[in-house]
Amino acid sequence: MKINEVPQDDVPDYSQGIKKGNYALDDQGKYVMVPSKGWVIDEQINKMAYDEYQDKVEETRKAVLAGQKSPLAYYMELRQMIPKFLGKTAGIATFRVKRHLRPEIFSKLNDSVLDKYAKALAITREDLKIVPQNSYER
Amino acid sequence: MTTELATNGKPFVHQQAAHCETGVTSALFRHQGVDISEPMIFGIGSGIFFGYLPFLKLSHLPITAFRSKPGSVFRKAAKRLGASFVIKTYRDPQKGMDELRQVLKTGKIVGLATNLYWLPYVSERHRHNFSGHNIIVLRETDCGFRICDPTFALVDCTADGLERARFVPGPLNPRGHMYYTKSVNPHPDLRGACIKGMKDSCNAMLKIPIPIFGVRGIRFLAKRVVKSPDKLGFQEACRNLAGLVRWVEETGTGGAGFRYMYAAFMHEAAGLFGSAELADLAEEMDAIGNNWRDFSVVSARIIKKRGKEEATFVKAGELMLTCANREEAFFNNLQKVVRKLKA
Repeated sequence: MKINEVPQDDVPDYSQGIKKGNYALDDQGKYVMVPSKGWVIDEQINKMAYDEYQDKVEETRKAVLAGQKSPLAYYMELRQMIPKFLGKTAGIATFRVKRHLRPEIFSKLNDSVLDKYAKALAITREDLKIVPQNSYER
Repeated sequence: MTTELATNGKPFVHQQAAHCETGVTSALFRHQGVDISEPMIFGIGSGIFFGYLPFLKLSHLPITAFRSKPGSVFRKAAKRLGASFVIKTYRDPQKGMDELRQVLKTGKIVGLATNLYWLPYVSERHRHNFSGHNIIVLRETDCGFRICDPTFALVDCTADGLERARFVPGPLNPRGHMYYTKSVNPHPDLRGACIKGMKDSCNAMLKIPIPIFGVRGIRFLAKRVVKSPDKLGFQEACRNLAGLVRWVEETGTGGAGFRYMYAAFMHEAAGLFGSAELADLAEEMDAIGNNWRDFSVVSARIIKKRGKEEATFVKAGELMLTCANREEAFFNNLQKVVRKLKA
């Protein structure tokens, strides 16, 4: 790749002006680090993954409000976790975590278990019991 | 390029790097007075690789690695450059943080593997639950730690945030993975190290008898990509393909799944040995990199459903097969050339 081939597309900036490094050949035939402003391909793929994540969070939030899932499911999605890793983080067996995703079982949990989850998800115990009424603002 | 002080008042120069682990390793060496570039570390540490790991999932998509396993680049490079180094993991977070503070007090700078999701300074957009991001801790401050992220910038990070990022369980659990060099050889045997690194890379790409690694891995995945729309349905196949393109371009690879970075290494090595054959190989690697770029472009077109005739999964698979063939030829040639080189 030559220096002038490094993509410098005009895409939204999400990293506070810090550009991604690319290795490219300069005129003297030496490799140098060339900062890239962005590439439409990168942006498209990233946006796809990000949208998918957001859609999933939003879907889960609606399911919680409809009473199909417990708020724990929402915060788990929000933190990009799966029951296995949430269980490991909180020190609770995976099969119990999966049970706690059901609202009727979640509502009976005592405070010590809730505290473990709250700590693992970096939120407060009160927050863990409810989900936002409106979609999450970013 | 910005300068910042480490604990013992020694200036640390922040240089933007393409990849986190090679960036950290070369910064650790540079800080101790050995001027070595990021591609050089990448080549000496045998960073180039291919592995398709369908049984390891990250956000519900299989991992496709274009580099050797996390941690190995530092280990191999440090060994081959004759440095004495420490690599540690911890079960107990408290102990891990205490030891980090102790090491910092002795004036060392420390490399850490962290989870990208929990690092407080990472923007919402770039947060993934990926536990293989490498950073350098420069010193402890009043409110936390001063951190150099080679792919990002110099930042401040709270102690809580750092502890969580180091120890949160996830795929490829870092377990507080911490590494630093105790002392380095001020005049390392670069030529010998390069030869070792190249030989190791050739073996990794050509000789692993498991079909998901090396050149055979690329072929294996190419076949899967071609079949994926029939097997998974168009939508799901697109998701998988997008995941693959992210591994090629997004994960701090310096472009085209580390192939450009390896070309840069070959180029530097050619200068070091004064070998025209290596220079030719560098050009070939660059061309392979362009090939991978073409693959990314075609994949993006498939996903966007543009250019229905020329952009199909078959075409993407063909491009991958071309990459595989060229890489096989490349590493076979490299093997022959390396035998002739003298340390």
